[in-house]
Amino acid sequence: MNVVVAMKQIPDLQQIRIKNRQPVFDDVPLTFGTIDKNALEAGVMLKENNLAEKVIVLAAGSEDLEDTVKEALAAGGDEAFLIVGDDLNGAESSIIAQVLAAGVKKIDDVGLLLLGEGSGDNYSGQVGSRIAEILGWPQVGYAGAIKLEGNKAIVTRVLEDAEEVVEVALPAVITVVSGINEPRIPSVTQILKAGKKPKEVIEEDELDGINKEALITTVSNLAPESDRKRIVVKNVAELVDKLRSENMI
Amino acid sequence: MDFSLSKEEQLIQKAAAEYAEKFIEPIAKQIDEENRVPDEIIKGLGELDLFGIPFAEEYGGAGAGYACYVLAMEQIAAASSGVGMILSAHTLGLGAIDKFGTEEQKKKYMFKPCRGEEVASFAFTEPATGSDPKQIATTARREGDYYIINGTKRFISNAGYPGPIVVFAKEEETGKVSAFIVEKWCEGYSISEPWEKLGMHGGPLLDVYLKDVKVPAENLLGGPGMGYAILQYAISFGKVGVSACALGGAEAALREAFKYAKEKMHRGEPITKFQGIRLALAEIAERVEACRWMAYRLGYLADHAKDPAQFAKDAALTKDFICAQIVDISRLAVNVHGSYGLMKDYKVERLWRDAIMGLQIEGVSDMQKEIVAGVLLGRK
Repeated sequence: MNVVVAMKQIPDLQQIRIKNRQPVFDDVPLTFGTIDKNALEAGVMLKENNLAEKVIVLAAGSEDLEDTVKEALAAGGDEAFLIVGDDLNGAESSIIAQVLAAGVKKIDDVGLLLLGEGSGDNYSGQVGSRIAEILGWPQVGYAGAIKLEGNKAIVTRVLEDAEEVVEVALPAVITVVSGINEPRIPSVTQILKAGKKPKEVIEEDELDGINKEALITTVSNLAPESDRKRIVVKNVAELVDKLRSENMI
Repeated sequence: MDFSLSKEEQLIQKAAAEYAEKFIEPIAKQIDEENRVPDEIIKGLGELDLFGIPFAEEYGGAGAGYACYVLAMEQIAAASSGVGMILSAHTLGLGAIDKFGTEEQKKKYMFKPCRGEEVASFAFTEPATGSDPKQIATTARREGDYYIINGTKRFISNAGYPGPIVVFAKEEETGKVSAFIVEKWCEGYSISEPWEKLGMHGGPLLDVYLKDVKVPAENLLGGPGMGYAILQYAISFGKVGVSACALGGAEAALREAFKYAKEKMHRGEPITKFQGIRLALAEIAERVEACRWMAYRLGYLADHAKDPAQFAKDAALTKDFICAQIVDISRLAVNVHGSYGLMKDYKVERLWRDAIMGLQIEGVSDMQKEIVAGVLLGRK
């Protein structure tokens, strides 16, 4: 059984500057979202525990993906399956879900599809559920731990006030939370070998039946304004009072 | 001319930065205070292959070359120059074995150090020699299939860690200087307490005492009388590490100065509103940029060096320039902090102490200028 990890190529958020509340993407390198890396690490750990044969990285985006995916292959992915198209970077969730689901169908013996709970940029949290619907597979969200036993997965879901343990038949889609693990830092040797790992690249046009009609339109994308209250306090007691009155403590 | 980094270079830089941020930065102050790098840091760096970046895979290295070594070292040293110093001196010692060692010597002595399981050293300096190789007093006496080495080596990095140490000694028979691979902690090998130095704490400098140390003749490095050539070559490559280490300190000073200036408020506004602060920040940025590209270029040259003398000149001028710049850069960063910059609560205090070390280690500043002038003018 192979584990497929779907990852989204995004600009490195730490290097984005904000100008007039708009993000500036000039010369910002591309990477994968941090929770996507948690999903990858979860897949790699299953493989290291001999519960999966291969970890295959699945991604859809611009042609830069061929370079970006080296990061995931250095961090433990065995192979990559990339769907490249000019308009895939920033495409909305319903389109990406169709594209990724079509990609999953082209990969042999997929027992598990892992994703981050939300992408590193928009965090819509829709893609995992949409893929599950298209494939007709069960889906479990907010996974904080995954165990594989035979033809089922036992997943601990991390909820706001509780943990829920569920069983799900494979193949399944599981979306993970950031607390599931600490992604490994790849070694220099792993980084240098990443570019030599097997990689299949197909054009988006090669996939049939993708409905490219966007269901959601992003109207604007603005950085939040942080209004400072500029309250001056004379002593600690006054500071504590102010914080209490704002329900901060 | 292309100044962009490949994806692999970016990822190596990022991996080193991530390790430094997660594991070294949180204990950097502790390393400074205790003058010791915890073993788990050495282990972690080894797991990332940072102890063997430039060396071939067949000897346990990563095969990424010196250019990538500079990129990684910059990030590690930005968190702790003591950790950077360990890596730099280690790579200097191992570089000598890599260049001049026989196939058997490389296979025997490079694998464990490349993985961080051992740490290499390089022992030339003696109490009376300074930078003059002719004054070397350590002796090597041939007895059958062995050499017997006696002498004292001064300011030797990593001397307490197990691993190979390249020792320079005058052969009693010929009076010529040769280099030998010695296994630290063999019989007759002992060390002093670490020197208490101004900065770069955690990077240990010790004296090494060699008392009738018996070294197999097969451990002679590069052939009899090759000591001076090995010294020149290895020290030049060692300056790649020192330059990258200084660059890391410069980068850290820049980060600290900008962070402080943006956060420190004066009458409700950050002190970046003052022109004096803005000019200091700009000057720091200018100097760091110059240092960065000189260090990156030196890493590239180390991977493509053809003429040893030209490379020695480039290494000397780069090391001297960056190490001089970092003194000014860190002082400017202290200035931005005002009085707070002198307090141990702020990282710039440590950065300033670390910065002053660079001009004196691995060849003092004047020696670097002599090397540069000698190559440019043509030696007599």
